[in-house]
Amino acid sequence: MTITPANAITTQLGDQGLGQQPWWVEQWMELINGYRFKKRLERAWDYARSGNVTSIRFEGRRVHARVQGTDADPYKVKLWLDVLNDEDWGYVLDALTQKARWSAQLLAGVMPQDIERAFAASGKRLFPFKLQEVRSECSCPDKANPCKHISAVYYLMGDRFSEDPFVLFQMRGRTRAQLLADLAIRRRKALAKQALAKQAKAKQAGANNGAEPDATTAPQPVHPAIKDPNRWWRYGAALDPELVVITPAMEGDTGLDAAGPLPLAEDGRFPEANHRFLDQLKAHGQLTATLAMAKAMGAANADGS
Amino acid sequence: MSLLHATWLFPPEGSGGRLFLWADTWRVASPVVPKGEAPEHPLALNEDDLATWLDDNGLWSEALRPARATLSLPSRTQAAKGKTKSSGPWSGLPLQAGEPIPKEPQWWPWQVEGWALDPASAAEWLSGLPLAGAHPEMADELRWWTHLQRWALSLIARGRWLPQIEETRARWLPLLNREDDRRRLEELATGLPQVATCALAAGLMGDPSLACRRPGSGRLRVASLLEALLDGQLRAGFSPATEGLDPLLAAWQKALGKGDGSLHLGEEERERLTIATHHWREAVAGKVAPARTCLELFTPAEGEELWELRFGLQAEADPSLRVPAGAVWAAGDRGLQMGEVAVAQPSELLLEGMGRALTVFEPIVRGIDAATPEAMQLTPAEAFVLVRTAANQLRDVGVGVVLPPSLSGGLASRLGLAITAELPAKSRGFTLGESLDWSWEFMIGGVTLSLKDLERLSAKRSPLVQHKGAWIELRPADLKHAERFCNADPGLSLDDALRLTATDGDTLMRLPVHRFEGGPRLQAVLEQYHQQKAPDPLPAPEGFAGQLRPYQERGLGWLAFLHRFDQGACLADDMGLGKTIQLLAFLQHLKAEDELKRPVLLVAPTSVLTNWKREAAGFTPQLSVREHYGPRRPASPEALKKALKGVDLVLTSYGLLQRDSELLESVDWQGVVIDEAQAIKTPTAKQSMAARDLARPGRNSRHGRFRIALTGTPVENRVSELWALMDFLNPKVLGDEPFFRQRYRLPIERYGDMASLRDLKARVGPFILRRLKTDKSIISDLPEKVELSEWVGLSPEQKKLYNKTVEASLDAIARAPLGQKHGQVLALLTKLKQICNHPALALKEDADQAVGPTGVGAKGEASFVSRSAKVQRLEEILEEVMEAGDRALLFTQFAEWGHLLKAHLERKWRQEVPFLYGNTSKNERQAMVDRFQDDPRGPQLFLLSLKAGGVGLNLTRASHVFHIDRWWNPAVENQATDRAYRIGQQNRVMVHKFITSGSVEEKIDRMIREKSKLAADIVGSGEEWLGGLEVGQLRELVALEDD
Repeated sequence: MTITPANAITTQLGDQGLGQQPWWVEQWMELINGYRFKKRLERAWDYARSGNVTSIRFEGRRVHARVQGTDADPYKVKLWLDVLNDEDWGYVLDALTQKARWSAQLLAGVMPQDIERAFAASGKRLFPFKLQEVRSECSCPDKANPCKHISAVYYLMGDRFSEDPFVLFQMRGRTRAQLLADLAIRRRKALAKQALAKQAKAKQAGANNGAEPDATTAPQPVHPAIKDPNRWWRYGAALDPELVVITPAMEGDTGLDAAGPLPLAEDGRFPEANHRFLDQLKAHGQLTATLAMAKAMGAANADGS
Repeated sequence: MSLLHATWLFPPEGSGGRLFLWADTWRVASPVVPKGEAPEHPLALNEDDLATWLDDNGLWSEALRPARATLSLPSRTQAAKGKTKSSGPWSGLPLQAGEPIPKEPQWWPWQVEGWALDPASAAEWLSGLPLAGAHPEMADELRWWTHLQRWALSLIARGRWLPQIEETRARWLPLLNREDDRRRLEELATGLPQVATCALAAGLMGDPSLACRRPGSGRLRVASLLEALLDGQLRAGFSPATEGLDPLLAAWQKALGKGDGSLHLGEEERERLTIATHHWREAVAGKVAPARTCLELFTPAEGEELWELRFGLQAEADPSLRVPAGAVWAAGDRGLQMGEVAVAQPSELLLEGMGRALTVFEPIVRGIDAATPEAMQLTPAEAFVLVRTAANQLRDVGVGVVLPPSLSGGLASRLGLAITAELPAKSRGFTLGESLDWSWEFMIGGVTLSLKDLERLSAKRSPLVQHKGAWIELRPADLKHAERFCNADPGLSLDDALRLTATDGDTLMRLPVHRFEGGPRLQAVLEQYHQQKAPDPLPAPEGFAGQLRPYQERGLGWLAFLHRFDQGACLADDMGLGKTIQLLAFLQHLKAEDELKRPVLLVAPTSVLTNWKREAAGFTPQLSVREHYGPRRPASPEALKKALKGVDLVLTSYGLLQRDSELLESVDWQGVVIDEAQAIKTPTAKQSMAARDLARPGRNSRHGRFRIALTGTPVENRVSELWALMDFLNPKVLGDEPFFRQRYRLPIERYGDMASLRDLKARVGPFILRRLKTDKSIISDLPEKVELSEWVGLSPEQKKLYNKTVEASLDAIARAPLGQKHGQVLALLTKLKQICNHPALALKEDADQAVGPTGVGAKGEASFVSRSAKVQRLEEILEEVMEAGDRALLFTQFAEWGHLLKAHLERKWRQEVPFLYGNTSKNERQAMVDRFQDDPRGPQLFLLSLKAGGVGLNLTRASHVFHIDRWWNPAVENQATDRAYRIGQQNRVMVHKFITSGSVEEKIDRMIREKSKLAADIVGSGEEWLGGLEVGQLRELVALEDD
């Protein structure tokens, strides 16, 4: 029997297979499953599912994990990828600004499927091509790399990617926030340059189609309440007609329905935990919705009319 | 009067906070010089007083906790005592809501005591407040809060929320991605009264530092308030059940229950959960921003196949404000100004929206491959998907979509009708049921089409088709509806035309009417009906002894117009505009046209019957008027019939309308007029039912019966009272009572539903004419001071007492020695005038006796009122004054009467009525005057004794002056009137002079007006001369004339 510490991390990648996973998780799992030593992989799979991995931490660009092996103390596992240097990132960012869709998807929290093409500009990759590109260390006595402890962590990292695909960027040297900020600066610079060029062109073309009035230099407007202190006190609007009668959501139209399943890796020891959690939220939603409607009707009765 | 405020106390950092209740009141305060820290608000209620006040007003909650806050309030600069304005540090006072704003207000922080509620309790408390209606004790922002809470309830009911981790705490967050919710956020943000968020973020007991809070861009602020209310409510009822959950979810769930949302997790785990929840939410909702990405669809150019989709940004505050993507890219690294809306990082905003659009409408992927895309092309199939389904999905993820007008999904893009109609040649357009000559075509997206066109287009089996140059979307049911309409081939009546032109979007056999063109004659009738044109004036008819002002001629024209249509009319002109005259002119008009064949019944409160009789005698001497009143009135149908021979107008009271209903129904009236029509407001009351019964012609009558209602109250705003009135006038207009209650009354009264109110007003509008005396564009010819004589009778008790007093006193005076005679005459006159006011005054009853001790309530009030006809009338007029929010001065020459009336009026209107008279100290006088003039929520009524209050004071806030009893000298009355009618007066002043008909008051009035010799003696000499009167002369002066 395996010992499962209370704060063990396990995987949801059970028997359901990989069909429902986003493409980047699939790609990661393919990488692992391409590993030659199937026996070791099976052991790692067991480890991952039975909670032997007690912690996974992203510290800067490295992943630190603790895996409970046969020893009393958990082994320390470190995982990292080759980091892109600033020059490389420069190429990647340049490439990314060439296509509005890449920025659009990254900003909306979606990992573009063809992201590697942007990385190709630097001659580097975002995803490791081979398992050997994933650098690792384990404090276990096993000489083989990856050992089963490392492999167990591989599996769980797939889950983490499904929670937050931008972890990969982080491992390559830029967090999502950094990436987006850099991207914004670069884009704005590019756009400003473009706009300047356009203006120069327009100037050459003659005064007729001269530059548009510069709206951005307009002074920050003073808040209207300063000009009209009555706005401190006055509110004359009537209730929004659509709030007169408070109606429930249409079937399947709540925020929970729209958001879909929790993007959280499930703990193997608590199967259905995500479902259970969502069901509880839904039940609470239905109950409070009914109460809210009752309250909305009651408010009127309290009016005394 | 105190005014309750509610302000949010933001925590020093993070989210949440508490709702802080405080109140200010009017009191004399000396200017404050702030030193070092924020001064105490000198006009605020303290903790205890506020608690009492909340309790008294039924607003106390057990969840209230004492609190303090520092509020940034606009303040008035005012020199401190003994200082001149320009020297020294700033000094002044905080402004109160409704106070006139000085030219250069300053903002200063003021410390206030009050009571605070945690978010959940605040939500509960706010849910109990009224959503609409006039509540003078509550500041405007309370209604803003109730609207915000209503929205929170709606979000909870619709499940538009998602739990999140924010700033290390678990929170229930609203999802504001839906288009209507985004619009609501904009509306509540632009409407936000700053006082609702004017507290400095501070610790639990406030921050007394001398700093002000800037008024903020409302959007984020309002969103955070909404979050707090929603979080509070969802959290309060959540009981975490952690069974079967892994430690991470268990911790999250625990943190979503009661408490401050703290997560008991390691930093690493918390971070992981935070990212995952954000990721979870990202797919549903973007951030709250001033603008959103917008996709605009254009139809293909002539001969082309592909549709164009242009990208851009759209301001949240004003969706018509759009900027093309080109301009966004051109903005480069600078912000973008869209009208008044500043967008800080427009390209990020645009790109992020495009990313979200991509998750919903996949074809966009082709359009955003370039670095700075501005537009793309769509195939017809893609365009259809966008029009049909994707547009709404895109809007739901917070991306704006603008479709060509003919496809915009609004009413115009639905199959409907275009109608042309005209009155038949021989018709005069006077009967509602009559059929019109008309033709129609189908219409969709702004183009007309025949049934054949429709069949041809449907056969194409393409959802988007082009017809006459416009792209339209045909729906499966369209052809079916069209065929059904063609087969039915319905007629069109004048009623239909009226209905279809009254409001947009009305339907005929389920088809919306997009266009209605009336021929010139029909149009003229319709316009008059909808009052798009002022009613044609009708000059005063022959035989009318008096002049009509221009607006009265229009009123007369309007009455005649509706009369021709056999429609009931409600003339609801403001008090003092001469409703009586207009009605009398109308009756005379009928008489002059030889249309007045049968008697007209006029029902009025007893208190104004006298007035009617006198006005009729003065203005329409040709009308034969008869009162159906008093013990000697005819008691059988035969006797009544006989008595009404040759009579044109019969006056009766509401009381008799009810008592003699059967008798009155036996007469074949030509018309029924109800004066002070609010008397029938209660549908189930007997007098209301009797009036409505009388409005219908009797079973045996072959004639119609016209209906007119007169009232000075804004009837169209009193929804609950409207049904009975319209049932009297035109029963079909509002349907039966249960329908009316469900359709109009409940939505409007409970929730202030504007859509229902607009619809209701459109329906009743044609039948109500209300002009305000303040509307100078309409009433340009009314003098700035209008004097009105209010004729009143005597109650039975008054009459008896009056006669008894006269008899007893005259005898005594005749026998009295010369030396005492003078005094006795004066005593008699005083006593009679007192009786005219109220028997209680003459009988020297004290307030407890007359009005009843406090707490007796309505019963005591009612009996006090019923004993005096003058008080009845006074109350009726005051009702209109109070309703309009006007202020009034009431003058009397009797201090005792002032006390009695004060007690009565205060109880009746539940507000303080100050009384200024000889014993009032100088300081008190000044305080009363200041308060009346300056307090935004000061008393509406001000009682003054003629002697003490008649001179020197400036009371221009009053626009009504009442002379409850008469004084011999008109100069004294005029001087009193001038307290209000003087420089600084903004409004027209109405002067109401009460005259008890037949009594000594009438004689006084007649003498003043006729400027008789007697009157000349009177002026300047007070009542001294009266002592010298012969008993015969005296009897003539005081004896009650029976009229």
